[in-house]
Amino acid sequence: MDSLGDTLWDVVICGTGLQQSLLALSLSRSSKSILHIDPNNYYGGADAAFSLQEAESWASSIAAGTDNDRGTFKSASTTKPDGNTGLSFPRAYSLALSPQLIHARSKLLSQLVSSRAYRQVEFLAVGSFFIFKPSTSSGQKPSLVRIPSTREDVFSTTAIPTKAKRGLMKFLKFVLNYDSEQRLATWQPYADGPLTDFLQWEFKMDAELQTYILTLTLSLDGLITTRDGLSTIYRHLTSMGVFGPGFAAVYPKWGGISEIAQVACRAGAVGGAVYMLATGIQEIETSGDNIELRLTSGDKVKTRLLVRNDENAEVGNGVSRLAAVVGSPLKPLFEALVEGAPLPAVAVISFPAGSLLTTAGKAYGYPVYVFAHSSDTGECPVGQSVLYLTTLTTPDSKEILTQSLQLLSEVIDADHLPPSLFQLYHEHGRGSVASRPDGSTFNFPDASLSLLFDDSTLEPVHEAWKQVMGETAVDTDYMTFPDREGIMDVEDMYD
Amino acid sequence: MSEKSKTLPKELQLVASAHVKYIQSLDTRKDEYEYWLTEHLRLNGLYWGLTALHLLGHPEALPRTETIDFVLSCQHENGGFGAAPGHDAHMLSTVSAVQILAMIDAFDDLEARGKGKAQVGKYIANLQNRQTGTFAGDEWGEEDTRFLYGAFNALSLLGLLDLVDVDKAVDHVVACANFDGGYGVSPGAESHAGQIFTCVAALTIAGRKNLVDADRLGKWLSERQIAGGGLNGRPEKKEDVCYSWWVLSSLEMIGKTHWIDRDQLIAFILRCQDPENGGISDRPGDMVDVWHTLFGLTGLSLLEYPGLEPVDEVYCLPKSTTERILGK
Amino acid sequence: MADQGGSAHGIARTSRVRTEEQRKVELDKIAKYRELEDQVRSGVARGDTSPGLFQLTSKLLRLNPEYYTVWNVRRRLLTSGLLSKSSAASSPLTVSLTASPTATTTPPSAALSSSSLSATQPSPASPTAGRSGTTADSPAGEGKVSAADATPEAAAAAGQKKDFDVLKSELEFTIPLLLDSPKCYWIWSYRLWLLQQVIDRLSVSMARRVWQEELGLASKMLTRDRRNFHAWGYRRHVVAQLESPRLGGESMVEAEFEYTTRMIRMDLSNFSAWHSRSKLIPRLLDERGADDSTRKGFLDEELGLIREALNVGPEDQSLWYYHQFLILNLVNPVGHPTLTPAFSLEDRVTYVTREIQDIKELLEDYDDVKLIYEALLEYTLYLGQLQGRKLDGAEKDELAEWLQKLKKLDPMRNGRWTELERECGLVEMEAFET
Repeated sequence: MDSLGDTLWDVVICGTGLQQSLLALSLSRSSKSILHIDPNNYYGGADAAFSLQEAESWASSIAAGTDNDRGTFKSASTTKPDGNTGLSFPRAYSLALSPQLIHARSKLLSQLVSSRAYRQVEFLAVGSFFIFKPSTSSGQKPSLVRIPSTREDVFSTTAIPTKAKRGLMKFLKFVLNYDSEQRLATWQPYADGPLTDFLQWEFKMDAELQTYILTLTLSLDGLITTRDGLSTIYRHLTSMGVFGPGFAAVYPKWGGISEIAQVACRAGAVGGAVYMLATGIQEIETSGDNIELRLTSGDKVKTRLLVRNDENAEVGNGVSRLAAVVGSPLKPLFEALVEGAPLPAVAVISFPAGSLLTTAGKAYGYPVYVFAHSSDTGECPVGQSVLYLTTLTTPDSKEILTQSLQLLSEVIDADHLPPSLFQLYHEHGRGSVASRPDGSTFNFPDASLSLLFDDSTLEPVHEAWKQVMGETAVDTDYMTFPDREGIMDVEDMYD
Repeated sequence: MSEKSKTLPKELQLVASAHVKYIQSLDTRKDEYEYWLTEHLRLNGLYWGLTALHLLGHPEALPRTETIDFVLSCQHENGGFGAAPGHDAHMLSTVSAVQILAMIDAFDDLEARGKGKAQVGKYIANLQNRQTGTFAGDEWGEEDTRFLYGAFNALSLLGLLDLVDVDKAVDHVVACANFDGGYGVSPGAESHAGQIFTCVAALTIAGRKNLVDADRLGKWLSERQIAGGGLNGRPEKKEDVCYSWWVLSSLEMIGKTHWIDRDQLIAFILRCQDPENGGISDRPGDMVDVWHTLFGLTGLSLLEYPGLEPVDEVYCLPKSTTERILGK
Repeated sequence: MADQGGSAHGIARTSRVRTEEQRKVELDKIAKYRELEDQVRSGVARGDTSPGLFQLTSKLLRLNPEYYTVWNVRRRLLTSGLLSKSSAASSPLTVSLTASPTATTTPPSAALSSSSLSATQPSPASPTAGRSGTTADSPAGEGKVSAADATPEAAAAAGQKKDFDVLKSELEFTIPLLLDSPKCYWIWSYRLWLLQQVIDRLSVSMARRVWQEELGLASKMLTRDRRNFHAWGYRRHVVAQLESPRLGGESMVEAEFEYTTRMIRMDLSNFSAWHSRSKLIPRLLDERGADDSTRKGFLDEELGLIREALNVGPEDQSLWYYHQFLILNLVNPVGHPTLTPAFSLEDRVTYVTREIQDIKELLEDYDDVKLIYEALLEYTLYLGQLQGRKLDGAEKDELAEWLQKLKKLDPMRNGRWTELERECGLVEMEAFET
């Protein structure tokens, strides 16, 4: 191959986060010349998944400030609370930095299908959503209550009084065509206020039922607006059963979004893109219509367009995350509740705002969300599980996450507390949220902090694709490819 | 098409001539794989197409002599008919054969060139399970109220209903009734609009319509009309043009056709037409076939859509045919 | 005349314009199909009973499982050679395959006598059938019966083992076809015929094992399509057979009742499951030997269950039909199997009145659900009939109000509401007053 410098690249993509990787996928059948680099020596950027060793070295590079992430991550640390016992070899683990659930009706999945990239990804069912109920003064032990999200669930649950069920049913039915004109008139006055107000005033839901609904949105601050809340719940409900009975969302095996990023990059490579990891940009110079880049590898390259993460991001208050490997399969969390449903590999537990107390004895004002992953996710060996805890970053957040982990262990089985084998704590700052085309540079927003995959993430990718393709862009062709030869149509087998 | 229907707005017009052409084209599609895959329905298909043509006022659109020749070429020594030459005899194709011959007034040809009415009657009568009263489809024993109805239909057209134990058969139909007023495929089975038609029609032929719980059944049937105007065949199922026949004919037999919205159903059926190439499909925008074409037309006929010949709600034949043969 | 395959259901309409290339491919496909068909036909005409012909039918049926004549060819090949000749059941038979809830109480002899039908039947109907000349040297006999099987018992056992293998492999053959065409009558019917052979030819324990597996298939089909009425009918039939003395069975009513509960909890709108439940209940109570108070308790539980369901799904017809089933049991014990024969008139009135009250309460949250008004109307009329009295003024006012609501919410059925209005004397009254 010619040296990198001899080519005038149509595009240089810097970073292998989801957006950059999807861009590579979208261009993989074009005749564009693509150089895809990443300053990190791993794929996935902020969505990466790490073995234990990688997690440890990543954490220490964050702590030492030698990482490539411009201060996006802070306060990273790893611990082995119960010593070295019980852990398998480091590569038996794959801890996701920012796990996200993907609704069955997400555009991401339809793009993976139309681009045929889905064949390389194994999707797992996300099962029940639970609410943590703290112990009460009357001696009630803390417990997990499953949130009913279908009519059959509501019918079967004994956790909700009969009359309250009607409010819930009316709401679920309302959501199913919430954007009809008649319904719009009902919620418009509440659109930009908190969803909980709407639930209280229009459906007479008590605080507990409101929590049920709110949890389905996985709103980090618990203050999701009526507009966003309705659209999220709409997607949840309409996603139910799309890929099989009993579940609304999926999670990619072997580390979530990072797996999709890698598959997308692989498609880019098959399509002829050149890949260089551990290679960043040292210097950028504009020369005429093109950009000249000096890479950390010493190479100098010329390109018509540079696509990268926004370098001007203001890092704001983000989320704190604790990933914990525990020495128990946590079986009760992963039950298939519907006949013919696949065994779920992921469960969601919410500690509603106000259900936890800080050491100072004050009620903690934000929810904590836990994604429990069984070993079916391939993220840990059989017999163990990974718990991902997330809450908004506050001075108390680290302690609150540790406390939540403890409470969760107790509520699952107080008599046999599962050993805590490995923990990775870090804080993830909030970056820019909008894409910024800037002449010959296209800046992607920072990775979303949302716990549910947000389809708006896909728009900047489409925009960037249009910019690369220029006049040859045909929108209906976007992310739509035939199977490469020799691949059998497995869709038929799943009929 | 009659003058009256031409005054209707475009979306409410029956594309009658396109339907005639569509039906005529059916036997010219020998270069299509589907044509060969459906040979086991050839005689039934002929009955569906011919009835549709009669209702459209074009009984001559298929040549009579060739029709008779083809029907007789499907007959076996034992009197029964197969779906096409070389196909085994079966109740369903035998009934279709009798209906076709009835429609084109060709029982004499059956007598002269075929195995004769008596032999056909014997074939059908032998399929009755003398113990339960119901009927099998062929010698291999599948039983279903469809076969019972088919037997009653054909035998009464042939004037040979006395060959079978009518009372036993009636008892069997009654055993298929459900609390909701409907009937299932066999005792214990869920009510289903298709089966309701066969059971109510069989009772009507037997002169025992009084055994139907008309009020309850009427309620059940009228609830089959759903948003959009179409009819479904069971609770919580999708609408389908074929139920314009099964449901509507049953309502007609119990005198409750006015319990559904006529105009909406007409509009639904017409939306299922292929306006260019003719034919009617199960739902708007789907592939057409002759089966749905017939049942769309019979539905419209029962709703007295202008320009269509009246259909007999019991026999699914032109009223003119049943009047000629049964003197109804 | 009746519903069957070959019609296009739910396939989007496309303009069928083929390129010359596509036309050629299709013509080629037709030629191959017809050649295969010719081979089968000429084999049958020759009286061929070889495994070769059998395999050709497999090939043809995989292409076209609706080809009933070929299923019949296959049956004849089995009975004329591939299956052993020892069984009494090897005559061309027509045995009732109708699922009947009373099957458990049918003595075995009655089940056998239904084959008397075959006696009245001219032997094989098709002009191409009727070959009966095959003997032990037919292909299926090859190498299977050895000298060691010389005793009659051993020969019978060997014959059974052979039949078991043949029938098992036949059953397996139909499964992918069934999964592909779950609504094809011919496959279901062929499978039932095979299972009848299982009963007729194999020992009770062998046959039972085969039938037991059928229950699994029925469940699988119902998981894929909860409302497939072929599969429900099939399930009823399989259960009836498994319960029958011919398979050394006993009642499965409890397990089947439990199955409907599971199906309902998975999908409240599954009317097929509610229906099945309604059919099982009378037997269930009889077999439990339920006394009056148990029966009352059972009714209370069912009413509770359906009330909870209506509470979350009042717009669902399936639920109202089941509710109606329970109410009919109270108001119209004659002509319907009653669950609570000991109920006094007073009991019945109390129950119906309470249900009406509960339904009225649903209106607080669901005042735009027309099925609620329909139920109120119907049950109020029942109540009057039950007590043999005319409705009072307040009741008539309510009826009038509900009918007005229905006319507004459900104008499609205005013909029905107007007629009901007249029948209830609501229209005439107005006419008199003015």
